[in-house]
Amino acid sequence: MPKISIILASERLDKIYPAIILATSSVALGWNAEIFFTFWGLLALKKGYETKNVSIDYNEYKESLIKMIELGKIPEWKSMLKSFKNTGRLKIYACSTTMDLFKINKENLEDFVDEIVGAPTFLSKAKDSEINLFIS
Amino acid sequence: MKVDLIIDARFKFCPGPLLALVEAISKAKSGQIIKLLATDPAAPSDIKEWASNVGHNILKIDKNGDVYEIYVEVK
Repeated sequence: MPKISIILASERLDKIYPAIILATSSVALGWNAEIFFTFWGLLALKKGYETKNVSIDYNEYKESLIKMIELGKIPEWKSMLKSFKNTGRLKIYACSTTMDLFKINKENLEDFVDEIVGAPTFLSKAKDSEINLFIS
Repeated sequence: MKVDLIIDARFKFCPGPLLALVEAISKAKSGQIIKLLATDPAAPSDIKEWASNVGHNILKIDKNGDVYEIYVEVK
């Protein structure tokens, strides 16, 4: 079964959505998917953290993007992750180094996070994937 | 064609229609026929790709104005 591994290093919506859509579409195709949230990407995994910014070059599109999410034209990204996690083929990893750097504890993270791992562990998982992406 | 379930994914864009179909299939019984309505131009190819990966049967795809009607038989 093909697998996609994604390293997500940003909490901007225009980075999160491509990562989530690629991962969940892979799962929908019957594949496996894993996402490693690191650096600013890890902030998005904090409970209660509001991801509502886009890359500043594209600020003019921010309002209409947020509006479309509110209207349900694009599903909210955390709910997409949660519903696809039920398949057992989507794994979410949090970067242990980033957690140390920003003093974030496991209790601060969303429940859908599977494991806190370091780069060597994620690399070992990613080396078998047909598709490997770094999104920052 | 007798349809067991109609999923309205009009005005949702990729991967919305596919996600709606996947969710419906998870609750459907083998042999049932699902009719998916979508306006997203990517929907026919997304659904065909998915079906060939996962093993469900696309019975036919019609287009009514701007709306694609995709008939899927649950394996």
